[in-house]
Amino acid sequence: MRLQASHLNFSYLPGQTVLHDVSLAVGAGETLYILGRNGSGKTTLLSCLAGLLQPDGGEVLLDDKPIRDFSAAERAREVGLIPQMHTPVFGFTVREMVMMGRAPHLGWLGSPNHEDQAIADEALAQVGLFELRDRPYTEISGGEQQLVLIARGLAQKCRVLLMDEPTAHLDLSNQHRILEIVNQLSDRGLSFIIASHSPNNALSYADRVLLMTGGWVTAYGSPQETLTESLLSAVYGIRTEVITKEIDHVQTPVAVITQRPIALEPESLHEPDSFLSRVFSNGQNDPQLILVTGLSGVGKTTWVTRLIELARNTGLSVSGILSPSTFKDGRKTGIQVVDLATGDRQQLAQLRENDSAAIRTPRWAFDAAAMDWANLRLAAAETSDLLVIDELGPVEFFQGKGLLAGMARLDEGKYRVACVVVRSALLPNALQRWPNAIVVNGGVKG
Amino acid sequence: MTHSAPSTDAPKHKHPWITGLVIYILPVILFGLALLLGRYPITPGEVGRSLLSPFFPNLAADIPEVAQQLVLRIRLPRALAALLIGASFGATGTAFQAIFKNPLVDSNILGVTSGAGFGAALALLLFRDAWQVQLFAFAFGLLAVFLAFFGSRLYKSSPLLVLTLMGILIGSLFNSLIALLKYLADPLDTLPAITFWLLGSLTTITWTDIPALAVIIIGGVVFLLLIRWRLNILSLGDAEAKSLGMDPARSKLWVILCATLMTAAAVSVSGVIGWVGLVIPHAGRLLVGPDHKRLLPASIALGAAFMLLMDTVARTVLPGEIPLGVLTGLLGVPILILLLRRNRMGW
Repeated sequence: MRLQASHLNFSYLPGQTVLHDVSLAVGAGETLYILGRNGSGKTTLLSCLAGLLQPDGGEVLLDDKPIRDFSAAERAREVGLIPQMHTPVFGFTVREMVMMGRAPHLGWLGSPNHEDQAIADEALAQVGLFELRDRPYTEISGGEQQLVLIARGLAQKCRVLLMDEPTAHLDLSNQHRILEIVNQLSDRGLSFIIASHSPNNALSYADRVLLMTGGWVTAYGSPQETLTESLLSAVYGIRTEVITKEIDHVQTPVAVITQRPIALEPESLHEPDSFLSRVFSNGQNDPQLILVTGLSGVGKTTWVTRLIELARNTGLSVSGILSPSTFKDGRKTGIQVVDLATGDRQQLAQLRENDSAAIRTPRWAFDAAAMDWANLRLAAAETSDLLVIDELGPVEFFQGKGLLAGMARLDEGKYRVACVVVRSALLPNALQRWPNAIVVNGGVKG
Repeated sequence: MTHSAPSTDAPKHKHPWITGLVIYILPVILFGLALLLGRYPITPGEVGRSLLSPFFPNLAADIPEVAQQLVLRIRLPRALAALLIGASFGATGTAFQAIFKNPLVDSNILGVTSGAGFGAALALLLFRDAWQVQLFAFAFGLLAVFLAFFGSRLYKSSPLLVLTLMGILIGSLFNSLIALLKYLADPLDTLPAITFWLLGSLTTITWTDIPALAVIIIGGVVFLLLIRWRLNILSLGDAEAKSLGMDPARSKLWVILCATLMTAAAVSVSGVIGWVGLVIPHAGRLLVGPDHKRLLPASIALGAAFMLLMDTVARTVLPGEIPLGVLTGLLGVPILILLLRRNRMGW
C-alpha cells in the first residue's frame, strides 16, 4: 500500500491558492504528521488526499492508480478520513456509529447485517471500547469519541486513516491513550496521516513530518530533520527550543518547548561574559539579529536608545535609524526619524488628519520624502558594529512599502549585530522571515 | 466530558418488543376506531360486515343501508387518507430532520406548504373546482421547493444553511401572496373557502382522492424505507458522508424530491396541517432511539396513528368539525414541549 501525492495545487476560489506544489508519500504501517499554523492548508490537504476535493494540479495516487479514478465507495474502502471532532445532532449509540463504517461495503439500498455487526464489534474491541457499545456517542468523553471514530475506520477496513487534529481538546492522558493505540495499529500495517498542532506528539510518534506554511511545504522528512529550532520558528513564528536527551549514546530530540522573549538589560553589555556581550562577539563572525518586541508604548524605543548609548560608550560603531515620538499636550502626535550615523533628523509621520499621504496606517500619515531619505541613509550606512532599525511595522510587512532598504539589509545579512524594533503582533511575521533571530522583551525598565 | 445533546433513555433497551408491538398495533386500532366512531352510531359488527360487504354482499343484508354507505363511502376513504397523510408526515419529517442535521425542521422547511396554500387559494379564486384546487396546490407546492432549491444554488458556500434560509424566504414570499389573494377575494364567498382550506381538513375526502395519494405516498414511503440506514450517515454531515463513500449532495436531492412530492400530495388533499412532521420524529426517538433503521418505520406508524386520532377527535368531540390544522397545532405545541424536555435537548 502506498498513498502518494505529487505536486498538488488547490484553490477554493480562483486566485486564492490554498495548496502550492505539495508532494508526500506514506507506505504501509507508516505515520506521517502534518504540522502548520491554523489556516496553513492541513485540512484541505487531507481532503485532497482522501479524494473528497479534486486538486487543480498534480495527482493523488493510491498504489500508483489516480484516486480520482476510484468510485466513492472504492475510495472509502481504501482511505478513511476522520474529520475534526464535532458532536452529531442525534445520539446514536457507539455501535451504530462504528457500524456506519460498513457503508462503503454495502449497496446503496443495503443496511448492515449480523456479519457487519460482528465486524463493528471486533473493531470496538480492538480499541478497547466494546463495553461502551450501547452508550450514546454524544455522552462519552472526547477521547472515547475519537477512539470510536478510529474504530469506525477499522470497520471500514481501509488501509490509510487520515485524522484531522485527533488530539485537539484532549487532556494529556487521553492524547497518550489515542496515540498509543494509533501506534499499535500502525505496527499492524495500518497507515496514518495526522494533521496536528503538537510538534511533541510528532516527535514521539511520527515516522515522517510535513511542515506547512501558507499552503507551501516548508520541510518534509524525518522528525529529526524537520523539527528543528529554526524550521519550527519559521513555521510557527515563535522561538522554540528542542530538548535533546542521550539515548543509546546518540543525542535524540525528545521535546519541543516554546521560548518567551528574553528579559535583557541593555546595561549587561558591560559585563564581559553576559548574554548581550556574547551576542556582540558572535556578531564578528555571524550576523546576529535582535528583535525588540512588546506592546505599543512599553518602551521599545527607550530600550534601544539605552543600548545605543551604552554601545557608543564601549567604543562600538552604531548606524541605522531611530524613530522617536514627538508629544504635544501629553499625546503622541508625530514620529521623527533620526539617522544615527550623522544625527540628522526629519519629521516622518503625523497623526492622520487628511488622506493625502501615499503611505499611511489607520492612525499615521507618512511623509514620502522623509521615508525616501530614511531608506537612502539605511542603504548607504557603513557596516557598523550595531545596525538599528526602529521600527518595522505593518507597512513594511504587509504593504511592501516603508523602510524597505532596512528589510533588504536584514534579508541579505549585511550587518554584524542588528537591533530591530517589532511590535508583538508582528513578531510571528518577523520570525517566519528571520527564524534565527533573538527575541528580547523591550518592556524591561532599568 | 458530557455533551448537551439529544439522547435516548434506557427504556428502549428493556422491552424493545413490547414498544415495537405497541407502535405498530396503534394505527390498526385507531383505524378501527375511526370507522366506528362518529355522529351516526354504528356497532363494531356493522362496521366489520360493511367492510366485507363488497366481497360478500349477503353479509350486509341485515344492517341499515345508511350505516353501510357511511362506513364504505365516507369513513373508510377518510380514514385511509388520514393514515396515508399521517404516515407521509412522519416519514418526511424524520428524513428532513436527518438530512438537515436539525431536529427542529420538517418537510415544510423548503416552503412546500406555503406554495401549496398559495396554489389552492389561487384556484379557489379562479375556478372553485375541487380537482383544480388539488392540482394547483400540488403544482405550487413543488414550485416553491424548486425555487428554494435552485435559489440556494446561486451561492457556493454552506449549502445547507443557504437552502434552509431560501426555504424560509420562499415560504414567507408565498405567505405574503396568500395574504394578497385573501385581500382580493370576495369576503362572502371565496375568502371563507380559502380560509377554511388553509385551516386543513379531511371533510371533503372521497374515494376519487385516494388512488393518486396512495401511489405517491406509498411509493415515497417505500423509497425512504429502503434508504433509511443511509439517513444515519447523512445526519453526520457532508464531510463524513463523503469519507464513508456516499455522495451526500445527490442522496439529499433524492430525499428532498421524494419528501416534497409526498408532502405536496398530502397537503393538496388535506390543506395546511402543521406540527405532525415536527413532533412525530421526536416521539419516535424517545421510543426506539435515533437509529433510522428503527426510527423511520416507527415514525411512519406513529404519524399514521396520530393523524387518525386527530381526525377522529376533529369530527366527533364537537357538533361541528374542528379544523384539523388547528387541532394539530393546539396539541402539537404542548406535545413537542413535553418531548423536548424528555429528550433532554440542551440548547
